[in-house]
Amino acid sequence: MMNPLIPLFVAVPLAGAFLIMILGRFIKHFDRVAASLVLLFLVIISLHAIVSSGGSTSVYKVGGWEAVNKIPIGIYMVMDGFSVIVLCIVNLIGLLSVIYSISYISRYTSENFFYSLFCLMVAGMNGVVLSGDLFNIFVFLEISAISSYALVAFGVEKDELEATFKYQVLGGVASFLILFGIGFIYWKTKTLNIADVRTVFSTGYDRNYYLLVQILLLSGFGLKAAIIPFHAWLPDAHSSAPSPISAMLSGVLIKAIGIYVIIRLFFNMFAISEGMAVLITTLGTLSMFIGVFLAVGQWDIKRLLAYHSISQMGYVVLSAGIGMILISREIRYEVAALAIAGSIFHLINHAAFKSLLFLNAGAIEYSTGTRDLKEMGGLSKTMPVTSGTSFVASLSISGIPPFNGFFSKLIIIIAAVMARFYLLAALAALVSIITLASFLKFQRYAFYNQDPDRKKTKGKEVPFPMLFSMIILGMICLLLSLLVIPGIREMILTPATDILMDPSRYTSQITGT
Amino acid sequence: MNEFITITSQPAVCSYLQFMIFIPVAAGIVLFLVPEKYIRIKGILSVAVSLVTGYLTLALFSSAIRMVALDDLVAKSCMTLFGVNLLDGTSGFLTITTDNLSKLIIVFISLFSFLILLFSLAYIKQGRVKNYYPWFLITLGCSYGAVLADNLLLFLAFWGILGITLYKLIPGSDEESSATAKKTLILIGASDTILILGIAMLWRLTGSLSMNAISLPTDNILAVTAFVALLVGSFTKAGAFPFHTWVPDYSKDAPASSSAILPASLDKLLGIYFLARITTDLFIPGEWMRLLLLSIGVTTIITAVMMALVQHNYKKLLGYHAVSQVGYMITGFGLGSLIGIAAGLFHMINNAIYKSGLFLSAGCIEQRTGQENIDELGGLSKAMPITFAASLIFAMSISGIPPFNGFASKWMIYQGIIDFGAGPGIASKLWVLWLGLAVLGSALTLASFIKFIGGVFLGRRNTAFEKAKEVSPLMWLPMVMLALFCIFFGVFATNFIVPKLIMPVTGEFQFTGFWNSGLVSLLIIISIALGVIVYLAVSIKRFRTEDSFIGGERFHEKTGYPTPEFYKTIGEYRPLAWMYKKAEEKLFDIYDLSKHFVLWLSHKLSEAHTGVLPAYVIWVFAGLIIMLLIMI
Repeated sequence: MMNPLIPLFVAVPLAGAFLIMILGRFIKHFDRVAASLVLLFLVIISLHAIVSSGGSTSVYKVGGWEAVNKIPIGIYMVMDGFSVIVLCIVNLIGLLSVIYSISYISRYTSENFFYSLFCLMVAGMNGVVLSGDLFNIFVFLEISAISSYALVAFGVEKDELEATFKYQVLGGVASFLILFGIGFIYWKTKTLNIADVRTVFSTGYDRNYYLLVQILLLSGFGLKAAIIPFHAWLPDAHSSAPSPISAMLSGVLIKAIGIYVIIRLFFNMFAISEGMAVLITTLGTLSMFIGVFLAVGQWDIKRLLAYHSISQMGYVVLSAGIGMILISREIRYEVAALAIAGSIFHLINHAAFKSLLFLNAGAIEYSTGTRDLKEMGGLSKTMPVTSGTSFVASLSISGIPPFNGFFSKLIIIIAAVMARFYLLAALAALVSIITLASFLKFQRYAFYNQDPDRKKTKGKEVPFPMLFSMIILGMICLLLSLLVIPGIREMILTPATDILMDPSRYTSQITGT
Repeated sequence: MNEFITITSQPAVCSYLQFMIFIPVAAGIVLFLVPEKYIRIKGILSVAVSLVTGYLTLALFSSAIRMVALDDLVAKSCMTLFGVNLLDGTSGFLTITTDNLSKLIIVFISLFSFLILLFSLAYIKQGRVKNYYPWFLITLGCSYGAVLADNLLLFLAFWGILGITLYKLIPGSDEESSATAKKTLILIGASDTILILGIAMLWRLTGSLSMNAISLPTDNILAVTAFVALLVGSFTKAGAFPFHTWVPDYSKDAPASSSAILPASLDKLLGIYFLARITTDLFIPGEWMRLLLLSIGVTTIITAVMMALVQHNYKKLLGYHAVSQVGYMITGFGLGSLIGIAAGLFHMINNAIYKSGLFLSAGCIEQRTGQENIDELGGLSKAMPITFAASLIFAMSISGIPPFNGFASKWMIYQGIIDFGAGPGIASKLWVLWLGLAVLGSALTLASFIKFIGGVFLGRRNTAFEKAKEVSPLMWLPMVMLALFCIFFGVFATNFIVPKLIMPVTGEFQFTGFWNSGLVSLLIIISIALGVIVYLAVSIKRFRTEDSFIGGERFHEKTGYPTPEFYKTIGEYRPLAWMYKKAEEKLFDIYDLSKHFVLWLSHKLSEAHTGVLPAYVIWVFAGLIIMLLIMI
């Protein structure tokens, strides 16, 4: 089935980026209006896609090149249950960040560059998510990564430049590893289409070569996803970027070009082996555990949030890894499905609450001019909306009911126990407790705890566009809890889980078998 | 699952069951929108809501329903709202259990929330706690939800929300109270997370989430772990050793009405309700588990009461007693016999009555004097006679003096322990230990309440409080009612209260010791009456006035009546002095201990992140190489 909407996900933001660059110079406020409209359009079509697709897979063959002898040639863009979810969160968070930027970025110069790079980054992420072949994944990944390097440095201060330099160097290493892995695959299989690669590998392969490719790709995309020990660039980059960009980087970029690709490749391209599954689970556990300990000692809000991104991504990887282990052992498929659903659910939830938290941090910085928790206090009186929304987000990430994070962590812990990985379940619970502790620290020092020697707090509430984005995200945090209700879960999470559990479904759509 | 009655058979009662949870929560959410300056209106609306739900609980209490599945009902409303049944497949997730235990608990939840809301009308002024009434009502609705839920996951959701309301019912606008709020939610949230683990294990072991259907013996390591994980949840909520440390801090920093509703009454009711479910429904605790429960019970009693003895802040003193009393309940459940469980439940109710009463009187004292330190107070009995009388009754109840209710339930616990001693097993062999420590705890409670009553109400009045006067009727009325409950529950314990309220929950049992609360009360009344006659018969004027007797301690003229001075002696006693010193350094506080460890580890890990780029690149390649070495 050809879906004519698919290329629009890439084409519209790309066109937007170029138009903003050219016309933004001449027409006042064209940049922000155009970027908002582009993102709004993308949100509408991605929501349309998630509602109308009903979990079916649709393919767009660029240029109309049909498969020859069941071997796909040409560029394939694939939209299935999993990618449509990621598309939704990318574009939705993108829209809210753009609206937030309208007030926030007005302090900086050359605004049209900002919006242009923003659209470019979104185009790259949408491209990665929709690509059906490895080379296009790489191309779009570079588009979004390079625009994100520029966006991190947007403030052009010392810290920003240092952070973006580290980010670029490590991002360059990642790209090298990924390209190396892709090259290895092309060398042996003579194809780059994900579905086709799987078909070729199913006829037999050399074990060591196969592992080498897997590990190269895992390290490369692990760098993009900031899995420990590949995480070192993240705290600097995510905390130095302007806040709406931090929200995009932490909220969606590490997922769209990191976690999404790892999950996609390891479930749908490679045959799952127990060794790799255990390795991935170990990396996830390490990230989850070490990330939270690094976070809890931070006093810079955005660094604290950035380290928590590492830890929360650990949950996602851990849970997906548990699913992989069970699939590779060919036991307890329903628990594997539960674990994968928990992983995807947490991915969605993390996008909502982490971007909200970064927007909150941005609002605090906008209003008080500091990111240091020790210099704040008593902001709940002067900034009630920021305080309320950040309370919602903090409780969500800490896994307190009735917010969304509770349900995804619940599913992950239950899945770990059901899969009989009691230690992992206990670690997940422990990390959740420390997460709670560090977010209550954030709440306490930022919003309560009146500083005695300051008579009047400096901060006042931020402008409406910023409030709007934060309130909408806060509501999303609450509403995403509804995904746990079976009727809604069937519609959204189950198709994604199915496509990962059963790779032949994915393959059959593309090769037409 | 003995009597499964579905919607169709009892439509009249079932149709409003869900409203008990829904109305307070919805009203709470609506009240968020009302501006803070109409706080009086908010308060009156909240009282009205609590009356409505109170009526519903009473109707439920008198009905004979045991269990209700709301699935059909919710599915039907879902169909009308959305056109599709989104809840298809949730069978069993929305089952509500209304056995006698739940019914008993919800009636008392309604009672306490009504009385404390009444008190709050006069006590909570604008700007004290933001959104006090909305959070209060959400607390109320979620408490009903937690008690009525049969499905463990539904229970968990309601239970978790109660942690948020606890956090929000404390002002948090200064250094101390914000630290306390943080500590409270961390401990509660941690216990909830451990609870998730326990419930997941329970699910894995039994394949069921229905409280009614599960009954697991604690005979293997997994079952024991699940049991302990659930206990942690219950203990933290109720405030038992070693997870109790939030209770004293919370009592000190929160408004008295918040302490009265959550740590003093609802959290006790819920925590012990869950303990009852764990020990009687979900698990069949083995011998070692009983030993564990009993040891935790007596440890809680003794450690908390020892800490209470040396407190100078009366709200904190009450907080430690709120912990200490939980020990009796746990001891009761640890016994596992019918009388033990009955005693635990009875003590839970009694404790909630007098403890919330004590917090309310603390609120009255604080409102009239603005002082929280016992050392500064004194002689308020003349100025605030009603508060004094009520506090005296509460103090005597908590100290276990007949004929008040605290005595009745403690006596049942002692009887239970003596009976337990006849049984086999190591826990039974140690019955003298349990009994001795329980009685000792009661004696120390009395000692510390003499300090409270003596220090606050008796002695010479501090000149600063000459103008202090009685609180408004809206505030003393709830206290008087609670005091009457104390007397009523004590006097009619064996004749009416235990047979009518407790026995339907636990089942019939015999009182072993020869004791009839009515008779005992009668004797006490006669003896008091005789005393009064003697007093009147012999001329009143033949009195002599002496200086106050303060246990032979040196009298300090300037501090007036230094009741707390006497208690300093305890703190100076050599082995205890060391313990108190360490306790002050928070060496026994599980929260501070783990905080230090986490921050230490965090610091160590941060040291590795030097910010040097080549090091980070080396990590990447090291990670890559290690992965290759392991895998290939």
